[in-house]
Amino acid sequence: MAGLTRTAGAFTVTPHKISVCILLQLYAPSAQMSLPFPFSSVSQHNRLGLYLLSLTKSCDDIFEPKLEDLLNQLREVGEDMDAWLTDHLTNRFSSLTSPDDLLNFFNDMRGILGSVDSGAAQDDQIILDPSSNLGMFVRRCILAFNLLSFEGVCHLFTSIEVYCREAHSSSAQYDASNDNLESLIQHDQMDMEKYIMDKATEEIELQKNASGSVPFHLHTPEALFKVTEGLLVTRKEKSRTNMKKTEATPLACASSSTADDTLVDESLFLRTNYQIQGCLMEQADAIETHGSSLSSSSIESFLQKLQNLAPELHRVHFLRYLNKLHSDDYFAALDNLLRYFDYSAGTEGFDLVPPSAGCSMYGRYEIALLCLGMMHFRFGHPNLALEVLTEAVRVSQQLSNDTCLAYTLAAMSNLLSEMGIASTTSVLGSSYSPGTSTASSLSVQQRVYILLKESLRRADSLKLRRLVASNHLAMAKFELMHVQRPLLSFGPKASMRHKTCPVSVCKEIRLGAHLISDFSAESSTMTIDGSLSSAWLKDLQKPWGQPVFSQESGSRKSSTFFQFCDHLVSIPGSVSQIIGASYLLRATSWELYGSAPMARMNTLVYATLFGDSSSSSDAELAYLKLIQHLALYKGYKDAFAALKIAEEKFLTVSKSKVLLLKLQLLHEHALHRGNLKLAQRMCNELGGLASTTMGVDMELKVEASLREARTLLAAKQYSQAANVAHSLFCTCHKFNLQIEKASVLLLLAEIHKKSGNAVLGLPYALASISFCQSFNLDLLKASATLTLAELWLGLGSNHAKRALDLLHGAFPMILGHGGLELRARAYIFEANCYLSDPSFSVSTDSDTVLDSLRQASDELQALEYHELAAEALYLMAMVYDKLGRLEEREEAAALFKKHITALENPQHEEPNMA
Amino acid sequence: MVSKESCRNEIRAAIEQLSERCLHSAAKWAGEQLVGIEQDPSNFTPSNTRFQRGSSSIRRRFGTNESISTPLPSVGFSQAATPLPVEDEVTDGDLYHLAKSYFNCREYRRASHVLRDQMSKKSVFLRCYALYLAGEKRKEEEMIELEGSLGKSDAINRELVSLERELSAMKRTGAIDSFGLYLYGVVLKEKGNETLARASLVESVNSYPWNWNAWSELQSLCTSIEILNSLNLSNHWMKEFFLASAYQELRMHTESLAKYEYLQGIFSFSNYIQAQTAKAQYSLREFDQVEIMFEDLLRNDPYRVEDMDLYSNVLYAKEACAALSYLAHKVFLTDKYRPESCCIIGNYYSLKGQHEKAVMYFRRALKLNKKYLSAWTLMGHEYVEMKNTTAAIDAYRRAVDINPCDYRAWYGLGQAYEMMGMPFYALHYFRKSIFFLPNDSRLWIAMAKCYQTEQIYMLEEAIKCYKRAVNCTDTEGIALNQLAKLYQKLGREEEAAVYFEKDLERMDSEGLEGPNMLEALVFLATHFKTHKKFEEAEVYCTRILDYSGPEKEKAKSLLRGIRMEKTGFPSMDMEHFPL
Repeated sequence: MAGLTRTAGAFTVTPHKISVCILLQLYAPSAQMSLPFPFSSVSQHNRLGLYLLSLTKSCDDIFEPKLEDLLNQLREVGEDMDAWLTDHLTNRFSSLTSPDDLLNFFNDMRGILGSVDSGAAQDDQIILDPSSNLGMFVRRCILAFNLLSFEGVCHLFTSIEVYCREAHSSSAQYDASNDNLESLIQHDQMDMEKYIMDKATEEIELQKNASGSVPFHLHTPEALFKVTEGLLVTRKEKSRTNMKKTEATPLACASSSTADDTLVDESLFLRTNYQIQGCLMEQADAIETHGSSLSSSSIESFLQKLQNLAPELHRVHFLRYLNKLHSDDYFAALDNLLRYFDYSAGTEGFDLVPPSAGCSMYGRYEIALLCLGMMHFRFGHPNLALEVLTEAVRVSQQLSNDTCLAYTLAAMSNLLSEMGIASTTSVLGSSYSPGTSTASSLSVQQRVYILLKESLRRADSLKLRRLVASNHLAMAKFELMHVQRPLLSFGPKASMRHKTCPVSVCKEIRLGAHLISDFSAESSTMTIDGSLSSAWLKDLQKPWGQPVFSQESGSRKSSTFFQFCDHLVSIPGSVSQIIGASYLLRATSWELYGSAPMARMNTLVYATLFGDSSSSSDAELAYLKLIQHLALYKGYKDAFAALKIAEEKFLTVSKSKVLLLKLQLLHEHALHRGNLKLAQRMCNELGGLASTTMGVDMELKVEASLREARTLLAAKQYSQAANVAHSLFCTCHKFNLQIEKASVLLLLAEIHKKSGNAVLGLPYALASISFCQSFNLDLLKASATLTLAELWLGLGSNHAKRALDLLHGAFPMILGHGGLELRARAYIFEANCYLSDPSFSVSTDSDTVLDSLRQASDELQALEYHELAAEALYLMAMVYDKLGRLEEREEAAALFKKHITALENPQHEEPNMA
Repeated sequence: MVSKESCRNEIRAAIEQLSERCLHSAAKWAGEQLVGIEQDPSNFTPSNTRFQRGSSSIRRRFGTNESISTPLPSVGFSQAATPLPVEDEVTDGDLYHLAKSYFNCREYRRASHVLRDQMSKKSVFLRCYALYLAGEKRKEEEMIELEGSLGKSDAINRELVSLERELSAMKRTGAIDSFGLYLYGVVLKEKGNETLARASLVESVNSYPWNWNAWSELQSLCTSIEILNSLNLSNHWMKEFFLASAYQELRMHTESLAKYEYLQGIFSFSNYIQAQTAKAQYSLREFDQVEIMFEDLLRNDPYRVEDMDLYSNVLYAKEACAALSYLAHKVFLTDKYRPESCCIIGNYYSLKGQHEKAVMYFRRALKLNKKYLSAWTLMGHEYVEMKNTTAAIDAYRRAVDINPCDYRAWYGLGQAYEMMGMPFYALHYFRKSIFFLPNDSRLWIAMAKCYQTEQIYMLEEAIKCYKRAVNCTDTEGIALNQLAKLYQKLGREEEAAVYFEKDLERMDSEGLEGPNMLEALVFLATHFKTHKKFEEAEVYCTRILDYSGPEKEKAKSLLRGIRMEKTGFPSMDMEHFPL
């Protein structure tokens, strides 16, 4: 980070730096001594040295600690000589009574530096090598001081007074509870991400008792303990600690600033541009990771403070835009976005712009367009977004900004695929049409594909790794959902391969995940100086022990461990986010292809490894997937319990999908229990969600009407259900939702099956199977096969053999990956088949049937699916009756009755879920 | 109705009290109004007559003389509510005199030190006021000293905290007079506590209405009409001045003009009112009238610099180079380090096409006053001329951030983005500017042009904008012509014909000629012919015959066709209606 260019005036002398200088003087007095006066051992001396090193490293950070924080830290470092150290520091400060003293002080500082030819130094003398880290620091301070005008010296002098006065006013409070370690808690640094560390603390406590003798470890547990405890304190006794919190982490500062008045301002010292940029990057990450759960007003007040300090730092406006974006304030977001680009012309702080290729005359307003387009997209104005992005394409072509073009194309394809604008050809008419002149005749899907390809090609040639990775992921998504067709097909002879290609999906996902290896090979050129220097500061917060500690205790929480790795290997947050996304996509693709364990595993990997670095909406998605899995495979009880946790965690996220999932689960549950009224209500609510003002979400709409049809089916209103399903199929066809088509067809087959019209059902089931085949939806295919078999059986018992064959073909898939309901259905059906087969005799082969039925009824118990359970028990009772096992028959019959009564009075035992 | 005599007496006393407290600018303002009152014939002095004669010349020209004689509406000012305060201390004490002279020599800290133990209200006020000014002075200096790389200027007036503490304590105990309240309001405003500041200032002006400083502070805190209406102000003729200036700031120019006209009944010769009237007229784009008013003003008050930047804008708009250079020279000699002077010179260079120099002077103006709104906007215009759009956008944006209601800057931003080929992005800015000035046809036309660009090509929207422009009395007649052409392009002949006729009417009434005229005539002639309205078609054809060129031949052939059809033996009709 020292290698980066910095303007000469950027390094300014501040009171905090003077404190460090005073300590340095103690560390290396010019007198010839092997061990300077106050130190009793070499290790003590070394510890101060290490501490000073970390202080000098972190002094480039945007905020500097106040004197009292420094004193507190010193007390920990100094152990038995803490009083001496702190006293010396405060005394030295109070001896600075006039500007002249400052001048003399810096003259003295020269003395502790060794000469350049350090060979002349004697062995027992402690001198600072001028080119060492500490030496450099001293030299920079001296230089900066010498550059100051007299006014500058006066200002420094007044700020020292303020610096000391603040510490003095709070030290009185400190003295009162000096012996009480608890009071330290309030002074300590904190980090928002450490909220989760409660458990770790307990371990640390144990560790501390076990290995308390090692000097380093004495500090660490305490420090960590304080970190976590401090958080609790700030949450509860905010008013008390407000005034004394440090400004070390911007987040901490932001949270404390609400009650503090402007006095705090004076203690904030502004650092170089780079560090502020880094700090702002961190804030941006925080906004994205925590979503709207992070109080937007606290960030706002932090930004306000920063803007007061640096009115020309336009990046603040961008941060404010991000903040407003996440708190869904359209007008403020728009206003700040425009303001940012008006001021900075898009040239300040955008690392996607290669600085060399800047055409300074025109600015980079195409980036403004790109951002504006994405903003409109987020606020649900797809047509507006498309217009803006089209303009962005045009402008970036005009200014030959290929980087921006690649990003814009990616954004456009994302927009098109998300919104699925099929009918708005009027808008698309004016849109970008690379390569082909027949753009307007292409379908949206083809357009998305072309855009992605173009974006990928450009990104590849420009080596925009992150974009390449996310484009690969988008491509994988596309391949997953759409059959590849030739773009231009002539005549009937054109090859029509109606199949998706799982291999290419897998390939794209893998290509996307290559990003991480690229980054480890590329070293840390991508990281911003400032974020690194604040990483140093975070190290300081968990004083020096942590690296040692994390090596020794293997049982640390993986999240914190990963964070730690994060800044050692310096993988930027955006990279880990993309990689996390690849895992999520993997999970989704396995879900579609029908491998429950693989889907679950990938989701778990995501939730554990990337949960912290991801954006809150992605994390939410992972949680929801896991809950869905629970509901399908473990029954509703567990799922609802998990949902409760997720609700607490994610309800603040904008456009939260938690509510959607909740409605879905409640609907399923109601259907299974036969509570049709509740099911209908849930259905209506889902329909309400689908018509929100946030833009029309086709998937949600389809989901709502699919559920409506299923409710109608359960209410035995077959013709209405069929009507709904038919119109739904038309919608799916219109908007090219292939996968949904398959499930709608299956639903139609079900409807015909239930209405006793098996002949009509057969073609639907077959069509569904063929759809599933072309999209490789194995699980759905298995369940369609099951329905097909049921239909065959419905044609008459002479088809039982065929039905059984079909079922057995699908059995491995169903048993391996199917949910509880599907499996139970298969079991019952198998039993049904055997029973209706005239060549099958119950008396000889009763176990085949009974086993299946028992299995089925067990699984249905967990699901509370009364209707099917009753059916299974009925069959069981019949079989027992045939076998003459009366006792068991009675038992099954009793259970049967219980389920039937439950089904008939669903309201009776309705848990208060909604 | 207030009698002139009572007004005069009030102001005389007020000047005394204001200058006693070193509120010089308020005293200056009051003085200007005092001489603005029509003099008694009894104490005529030669200088007064000269002064008044000049002023009234404009009145004769514009016939506003009547307003003086017409009885004013009796929105009575209640005199009784605000009796002239009697000076609380007759003997000022020697220390006060010393402090006052220190103050006048701008040694503020010294002045406040001298008064440190004085307990009279007057002394306390002067001490606090001096302290405040000392803090302000130091703040200005620090701003330059501390200027950081990112424009950091966290310089604050360090006296504010202690002043606020002292004044609020005084307010609690009731030991504060109206001047103290004024200072308290100022301090609160600086600290960002606007509501309290407003309350304090309202209290101050209600108890002592003659302090114009307090009124103008209050006015700067009234950012919307709702706030203005919510103020609880007692009636006094000073309130009318306040309202007039507040209305002007809120862009309610006609209301403001009405107030000023009313005030002129008493203060017939006030330069201040004349300048403010000119300002309002300028906003209504009555340039000729404004020019005459300013000429008059300069004749009476030749060394005036205030508001002269406005005059220069008028001269710029009228492209009067010589007059502008004369004005620039004059203000330059009077006081070259006034932002207004720099602005005038910048305007002059801009008119001369020397944009770099113009930018230099606008920069200087901004150096003198960072919040000088019009300089930012004008600098933006210069950068646009120099095709430096990035710098232009920056300048405009600063103007907008100083005053978000500045429609010129919003318009400039839109223009700059349109220049860069980002019409869709520009639309937002045009929309903003129109929001603040909805009845200016130029803005609507600019927006329509944006919609018309081939990149967006939303003609329906463009038509809507042009229609709005037509409704706002578009003086240049672009909108009508464009509307007609757009309808023609969309194939909606009927509407096109309507607008071509309107446009033709407009050109006829203004006596204009040109290609647009010809185009309209040709279109109308063919249109009416195809719709078999031969009378009209013939009229238009004969008008075309006045011109030379290919259109003439076309008109001839059209006429021939018309005659053919009129005679009833056209070849085509024969086929359709066989006899």
